[in-house]
Amino acid sequence: MSIELKLSRINRVYRPTELIEGKIVVKSSSSISHYGIRLAVNGSVNMQVRGGSAGVIESLVGVAKPISIVNKIIEVRPSGKIASGTSEIPFSINIKQPGEKNLEKFYETFHGGNINIQYLLTVDISRGYLHKSLSTTMEFIVESDKADLLEQPVSPEMVLFYLTQDTQRHPLLPELKSGGFRVIGKMSTQCSLSDPIVGELTVEASAVPISSIDLHLLRVESILLGERIVTEQSLIADGDVCRNMTMPIYVILPRLLTCPTVLAGPFSIEFKVAVVITFQSNIAKMPSKSDPTTPRLWLAMETLPLELVRTR
Amino acid sequence: MEFRPRNYIAEKEAHALPRVLADSHPFSAPSSPSQLQVEVVDDGNEEYFDPLRRSDNNAEASREDLVEIETSFTAGLSGEVSIQNPSKEWAFFKRSLMQRFPVSKTVLTYSMSDMIVKGRKTHEKSSTSMHLEELEDPEKFAEEGGKVITGQEYVSRLHELKAELTHAWHANDRVTSLKLSIKVARLLMDTSVLQCYPTLFAIATDILDILGDMVWERIKLKAEFTEDGTRIFSLPENFSASDICFDAKETCNNWFCKIGAVRELLPRIYLELALLPCWRFLVDQPLNSLRRLVMMTRGLADPLASAYCRLYMAHCMRKLPSHDTGCLLTCVNDLKIVSMRVMSAQETSHGAENRRLVVSLMEPTIEYIMKCIFRNAPEKQVGDVLVELGVGLNQKELLGRFPCLSIVLHHLLKQLPSEVVSSRAVEILHLIECSRDDSLDQCLNYRLLGFRLCEKSQMDTVNSVVDKVIQVIIGYDGLDDYLKVVDAFVDIVLQNHMDDHLSSILEGISKRACTKGIADDELATLQSILVKLLSYCKDIEDIFSMNHFLKILDLMYGNSRSIVNIHILDMGIRKGCICDPRTIQFLLEISQALHHDENFVNLKDDNQPARLISQFVSLVDYGAEIESQLAFLVECRGTFGSIRGLKETLIHSSNCLAIKALKDAKHLSFVKSCIAFSEVTLPSISSQIMQLNLYLETAEVALLGGFVSHSDGLIDSAINSLQSLDVMDGSRLPIDADAVLSSVQKLFSFLVMVPGNPEDGVTYFPKNLVSLLNSQSWMTPRMRVKVFCAIISLLAALSQRNLPYHADGEKNLVDAIQQEPSKAARGSMALEACNCIASSLILSQEISSICSNLIETGKSCMSTNNRYLQSTIKFMDHLPDSSVAL
Repeated sequence: MSIELKLSRINRVYRPTELIEGKIVVKSSSSISHYGIRLAVNGSVNMQVRGGSAGVIESLVGVAKPISIVNKIIEVRPSGKIASGTSEIPFSINIKQPGEKNLEKFYETFHGGNINIQYLLTVDISRGYLHKSLSTTMEFIVESDKADLLEQPVSPEMVLFYLTQDTQRHPLLPELKSGGFRVIGKMSTQCSLSDPIVGELTVEASAVPISSIDLHLLRVESILLGERIVTEQSLIADGDVCRNMTMPIYVILPRLLTCPTVLAGPFSIEFKVAVVITFQSNIAKMPSKSDPTTPRLWLAMETLPLELVRTR
Repeated sequence: MEFRPRNYIAEKEAHALPRVLADSHPFSAPSSPSQLQVEVVDDGNEEYFDPLRRSDNNAEASREDLVEIETSFTAGLSGEVSIQNPSKEWAFFKRSLMQRFPVSKTVLTYSMSDMIVKGRKTHEKSSTSMHLEELEDPEKFAEEGGKVITGQEYVSRLHELKAELTHAWHANDRVTSLKLSIKVARLLMDTSVLQCYPTLFAIATDILDILGDMVWERIKLKAEFTEDGTRIFSLPENFSASDICFDAKETCNNWFCKIGAVRELLPRIYLELALLPCWRFLVDQPLNSLRRLVMMTRGLADPLASAYCRLYMAHCMRKLPSHDTGCLLTCVNDLKIVSMRVMSAQETSHGAENRRLVVSLMEPTIEYIMKCIFRNAPEKQVGDVLVELGVGLNQKELLGRFPCLSIVLHHLLKQLPSEVVSSRAVEILHLIECSRDDSLDQCLNYRLLGFRLCEKSQMDTVNSVVDKVIQVIIGYDGLDDYLKVVDAFVDIVLQNHMDDHLSSILEGISKRACTKGIADDELATLQSILVKLLSYCKDIEDIFSMNHFLKILDLMYGNSRSIVNIHILDMGIRKGCICDPRTIQFLLEISQALHHDENFVNLKDDNQPARLISQFVSLVDYGAEIESQLAFLVECRGTFGSIRGLKETLIHSSNCLAIKALKDAKHLSFVKSCIAFSEVTLPSISSQIMQLNLYLETAEVALLGGFVSHSDGLIDSAINSLQSLDVMDGSRLPIDADAVLSSVQKLFSFLVMVPGNPEDGVTYFPKNLVSLLNSQSWMTPRMRVKVFCAIISLLAALSQRNLPYHADGEKNLVDAIQQEPSKAARGSMALEACNCIASSLILSQEISSICSNLIETGKSCMSTNNRYLQSTIKFMDHLPDSSVAL
């Protein structure tokens, strides 16, 4: 006896105003009598503090109260019987009724370290007290409504940045400090989720050979109790690259791990981009498990804010 | 039985066709002057290849060979015309790449290829031995961790990975396939063992290509079919992104996202390149992605890794429908910067040796990309390409630029259309002059220029170019460099008859060769130069007139020398008769040198030097000095005794010499010594048939000279050699049998002339022969018939002088005919015998019955309207006192 949910879209992406369609597939060797088939939609923001900058008390408290976005149940079939073999029961459900006033905004699906924004579809076939009810849950992904999106495209403006021994606020290797280096580049600071982060970067000079240049996508998840920074890393340069050769910055944003920048009351999700240059050094221990943005003698970095938006 | 009296002269006149004077000789060329012209034109004419002129064109061919050997690796690639299919060409390229940098026997210590080793670990060391090692040297063990595997194992592991990948894909486990291919791509980050990198690259890209193809097919399938397998759309060859359904796009996008999430730069680039064609499902301009990838490759600092990454890029680009030369140009320019950096690197970790290796490993990538550039570039774009590459050929454009990297220049020069090379030769020369770096020997660029210039015969600036090059190479100390450049330019020098340069070149070679000797590898180049030189010489006199040539030849040794000798000999005998004693002496010395070279003597029958020597011997002509010619022949017999076929030539020559001497009665004793020479030489000839024929020939000469006893002895020997025929072997080829037959027939006709020996009687030889032939088991009935016919004719001829002889031939003849298994053959044989008997013998009752018997046989075997049958019957009818019942 098995039960399965199938959605009409393979990628399971829906917008709040759209109808979720699909079918419930029940496979059984014998016929099943039931007291109704119900479908539940549940969307919520879950926040918790795990380690990080939170103190002892907060970590004891652990989970902050989740914020519910949507929670409703519909009955797909009244009580009855399901024939033996494979049966498919179609359904359709509105997440957001037109005109319906919700408590919370429909944030986009997001799976972070501290914050989880998740939408679940649960089907439940109750079979009375004697039998265990059949149920299964499936996640679907919510993206912002087209109507809510920005009209104009993302601004093509680029922010110029440069890294030299003087822009670094932390101590550097002495030979680096004296010899100096200069890396310049430009990058877009507003970026559509469907597009990559683009820009370019040039090493103009460096007294110490470069070991690598990384681009870190920093995700700052803040809730009232604390803040957590998680990074995604992407190498732009590997090794001591040629001077004065322009290299492109091109980072595809990872799905699910990114969402439009959110600044809600109880929580916020923001993004930053850090360009981190690692210089070759005997004392460097590769790769450090801790936060790569921690200042080190052999690192130079520049952090830029990044606003992620959903575009049409 | 009685022989018919015959008048052979009258019969001959009666049977001969009427003779008419011909206007022209059927074999003569249409007009003789044109023949000369053809000869001249032929030297430079390569348009068609006449197999009969093979030896003349040898020089031409060997020159091409040498170019190919020299650029051994590119040889196959330069045959690009034949390989139009990009995937085939790529496969070929990869194969040659692996051959050029073989991996075998190298022991690798891979620092990062954990996963390669993981599968092996268990085989390599048992756990106890691992523990023991750990105890002994814990630190070392931690460092190496048993990661030592041989190149072969590494390669086989890669192949296993390939199998795993396709297996996973077909099991619908695409995530595993992707993971495996990422692992494979990661392997390419490790360039620690330089020598192995090309092999690694070839296999890894093979795997990535497979992945790319599978993803392409899958997405295409998604675009064309619904989930339940019904075709919804048929993608045209040149589809656009809007033709693709949402689902397929989504899948495609997913792949690119997954790849984009790879942290390391190099595997990310490789995987995206593998999937590059898939961009077509998403956008109409996939070239934009390629352009970005070109730029991204700049982030790879390792010169080798980045070079091969660009190589893969050039390969993947060819899978796109449109081409962009710009991308490739950027690649080359970036490669240039990278390789300059390699060469200027001051770090001690890279020794000079290592640097050279890196550059040589990078060379194929430059070559391939350059080839791609010029494959797509139309003629008029070539100028732009040059400017883009920073090698604008005008002086003005050159100003203030980097000198071009010589290795890049080399491959550029290799790919440039030959029109451009010849029209801008001076500028190119200037470029070569400016590029002095370690990446490639400058002389190789000069050499290449020479070869490229040879492709176009017409050139205005040829003089200044050659002048310049000669000036440059005068400064070279080493023979090797000198020879390499000369080898390329010698054709041009010869074509344009620059005799001054030629002599200075030869002087240069001999000067350098004298001081330091010639190394083995230099020999090959020298050989090629000399062979080219010889191909322009008309006769041996030209060689004598060239200063230093013989001196250089003396300095050569071994195989190369023999090859040059062959060419000289070939040229020497090309003119036919060789009369000049100096030339004869020279060629004889060369022949002797050739003969002493073991490599050539031990060759099989088809032995060019032996053939040439024989030909040379037969062509030698001392004119009136017949004594010295005979002495020459004797010397040859002594020197070249072991050459098969040469003795035959010697006997022929001595026989000819004897005939020549016969014209003058004074030389009778000389004739005798010629015959003696032949007689002595003859027994050592191994081929029996040849021996038989030569015995006959010599016997004829002896008879002509009036040495009857000599002649008799020679005929005896001939019969003896005929007798020993069957002793040799049973499996006689039919063609051999025919040759024997004709020799025997010839012997009979010769016997007509031989005066009978008073002691043995005139029928001594025929008797001997008849008994001999009867005893020979290998004679077929057909041969027997022919032989008996010949005997009857011979006896008939002899009988004309009233020499009675009765051979019991007819009975044998009829029996022999009945033994013939084939009906048609039996018929014609019967008729032939009938003709022979009827014309030779007076038709007595006995003979007539035999004849009618034979005609009956003929009738029974052939149709009545057979013309041979009819003419035979007619002939019988017309015979006097014919009583044959018909």
